[in-house]
Amino acid sequence: MPQHQSILEFKRGRYFKLALLLCAASVAAYVWHEPSTSQLKPYGGTWLGYTLGTMAAVLILWLMLLGVRKRSYSSTLGSVQGWTSAHVFLGASLIVIATLHCAFEFGWNIHTLAYALMVLVVGSGMFGVFSYLLYPARITNNLAGETLDGLLLKMSELDRKCRRIALELPDEFNALVMKASADAVRHADSGKSLRPWWLGGRGRNRLGEARDALLAMGSSLSGAQVRVNEQLVSEMTRLVSVTERVRLEFRLQALLKGWLVLHVPMSFALLAALTAHVISVFYLW
Amino acid sequence: METLVIQVGVNSRGQPQRDQRRIRGDVLRVGRALECELQLPDPRVARDHALITFSAQGALIAAGGGPLKINGKPATQAVLSVGDRIDIGPYRIDVEAAPAGLPLALAVTLESPLQPPCGERIRSAESRGSRVSRRRLSYIALLGLLLLCLLVPVAPDLLSYARQASPAALAVASAATVNTSVSVPSTPASASAVTAPPHIDTVSLEEATLRGAAGNLLQAWNPGPLSQGHQIFASDCGACHQTPFVQVRDEACKTCHKDTLDHVPISQLTGPAGHAFADTRCAECHRDHKGTHLAVRSQEQCADCHRDVKQVAAQATSANVIDFHSGHPAFRISLTDAATPDLVRRVRQATPMPADMVERSRLKFNHQVHLDPNGVRDPDGKRNPAGMHDAQGQRTVLDCQSCHVPADGGRLMAPVKMEQHCQSCHSLAFEPSVTSRQVVHGEDAQIATMLREFYARLVLGDVPEGVHPPDDLPRVRPGAVLTPEDRSRALAIADRKAKQVLHELFATRQVCSTCHEVSRKGEFSWSVASVKSSSSWMPQAQFSHAAHDSEPCARCHDVARSKDSKDVAMPQIETCRECHVGAQPVAGKVTSDCATCHGYHGAVKSSGSSAAAAHSAVRRQHANHSFRDQP
Repeated sequence: MPQHQSILEFKRGRYFKLALLLCAASVAAYVWHEPSTSQLKPYGGTWLGYTLGTMAAVLILWLMLLGVRKRSYSSTLGSVQGWTSAHVFLGASLIVIATLHCAFEFGWNIHTLAYALMVLVVGSGMFGVFSYLLYPARITNNLAGETLDGLLLKMSELDRKCRRIALELPDEFNALVMKASADAVRHADSGKSLRPWWLGGRGRNRLGEARDALLAMGSSLSGAQVRVNEQLVSEMTRLVSVTERVRLEFRLQALLKGWLVLHVPMSFALLAALTAHVISVFYLW
Repeated sequence: METLVIQVGVNSRGQPQRDQRRIRGDVLRVGRALECELQLPDPRVARDHALITFSAQGALIAAGGGPLKINGKPATQAVLSVGDRIDIGPYRIDVEAAPAGLPLALAVTLESPLQPPCGERIRSAESRGSRVSRRRLSYIALLGLLLLCLLVPVAPDLLSYARQASPAALAVASAATVNTSVSVPSTPASASAVTAPPHIDTVSLEEATLRGAAGNLLQAWNPGPLSQGHQIFASDCGACHQTPFVQVRDEACKTCHKDTLDHVPISQLTGPAGHAFADTRCAECHRDHKGTHLAVRSQEQCADCHRDVKQVAAQATSANVIDFHSGHPAFRISLTDAATPDLVRRVRQATPMPADMVERSRLKFNHQVHLDPNGVRDPDGKRNPAGMHDAQGQRTVLDCQSCHVPADGGRLMAPVKMEQHCQSCHSLAFEPSVTSRQVVHGEDAQIATMLREFYARLVLGDVPEGVHPPDDLPRVRPGAVLTPEDRSRALAIADRKAKQVLHELFATRQVCSTCHEVSRKGEFSWSVASVKSSSSWMPQAQFSHAAHDSEPCARCHDVARSKDSKDVAMPQIETCRECHVGAQPVAGKVTSDCATCHGYHGAVKSSGSSAAAAHSAVRRQHANHSFRDQP
């Protein structure tokens, strides 16, 4: 088995075919079940409605079990890769099954709330699949064989070095280096924001600005301090580049995992809404 | 001159530590620069922050390249004495009592150490974890929604249930009460208590609030709008959904719909599948929460039983039916015979028509004559003084509407009435010389009496105004006094005349026998055989003449060549199928499922001799109240 097989291609799309079959069967049953002669529109309370609803509910519960399965490392109940592949495809088929279950009937009620939450969860999950296709390669490129911890150690080392060098320089250089240290933290942190660039998600690179300012201020120096400042600027430039890589790592991780902030809590909200939906329907049968 | 400098800090085991050293010099430079005597190696300290000099007054500190604070107050210079505190950047310098021989002792403490380098700060922030905890959000979402969508809406029910289980809880709940009192009939358990005072449950403010919130949130359970008739129950789910987790029972429907009849009396559901049909709930056909009309099931549901009706009702006489277009039997016509007026014969149409497809109404009527395109003799012609002959050229063309007018909202035709539809031509005048007087229709027993009285008056000389007595009657001179013999002779003449006219009416002139079967019973007694005709030929069909008024009558009722009232001119199913198809739509045709023509409730009242009457009564009631869900 190739090492980097996509979950989408697991066992040559076994679960894709299964999901497709499930959708096709549901659509066929739906079309066959309510002939055009009926005056009663199809809905969740017919035998097909109950069947589709039960299928969807069982699917939702099983899909949520992925969170349990991926944490039980000793489990031999199928591979996590298989589970994830099935999670993706069967989760997507839920849209078809649940839509047929409700027979395109929507309203301002908890039943449609459950449906909307399901759409939200599946939608965010699809974005997650897209993320897992797109970002891992970029993360590998950015880290280039290093680790985040390694990069952070490098940043600290360079920060210390800059501070030490700056002690020999006039006070304003010191102040700038001090500020640059905070700027480095802020710049790296800005990568965690999922705000897009047109909403200010990118922000200003104040660290780079500090480096440029040091370079400019160097002209006022004389004697040995000129060389010291040159050394400071060169260390600062390395800090800028390492910080940029940390920021990108944060950004890619946020993009890769950010959807989970929606996906996971929304799936629990869905579990609650689904429970309320099922109980309410039979409570007031 | 020497100054004692004590570096205050903590050692590697975390214990306080004081490192002492002596600095020689008359001037003590304090700053970050390497050349300072008291070097404070921190970027937050200026290179030449301050200067300490010694004079006769003692040690004197003066600010250099950076700001100073002496005992918390900004200062540019100060004479130092024991207990003074100097703040330089992050450092705190305390002036301590100097050992003998030394002018000054300074304890230096780094109060706020420099921030760790940037990488470490990021890593420690990482190890603290994300501000947004997926786990916490998940708990909030799960429990919050469960509370709002499930727990609060059922809370009042749970509360009631808990109270039923333990009446003691009531006392606790009503501890803090306000006067939103609700009177509740005491439960059987408490009723058995001896001399229990009148029981009034009070509802606490919290409970009232909870019930209000529950009522509002419960509305979010509503899967769709209620039908128009049920909208008064909108906020009272329990009106129909009486028991949790139990489907809506028929009892709930019958709280209001008391008089709605069953489709078939349960006693008739004798087939092997009859039991299942008897158990069908109202709500299985009438689905609410599906818009402003109660939804009804398709004709598939009718066909479930009627494709093999004997499976459900073993004694059923109706034919199996699936669909109007592809599986509907020929029509059955309900016929009545005047000889057996309480019996309805149901004869199914066929080609050729069965011999008993005749109506024995005892009425004689010739549609062909009356519908002669050249018209019939005009009534004005009859009033011609010349007698009962045609007025030249005066003829009236009749059409169906001349006699048949819709009744019952266009559903059926009104009965044809002699007085209204026939008598203007078919006069019941009995005396050619007295055209203004006619015998009363339908009162054959009274006619003889009436005639005898009429002629008696004439022969006794009491001639009404405008009446010319016939020539064959004796006349009495006005003012003449009749002897008893004259009177009895005159009355005998009048009786003879009445008998003669009676005979003419019933027999020779064929006034009555034109339409009726007449027979002589006695000297003055003739009788007309009673007439009985169907009021509804197809009582099981909800046919509306009003809905079909765009079509000519003859398209369905072909009577143009009918010479006998025995003829039954009801259309056959093929005629209907010229326009109507079944439930499966066909372009240019009217889609018609079972409910287009047939009702459901009380479709069969009972079997027996008065079936026809019952049929039409039920049908009429049903049509009037029009319980059909979809118009």
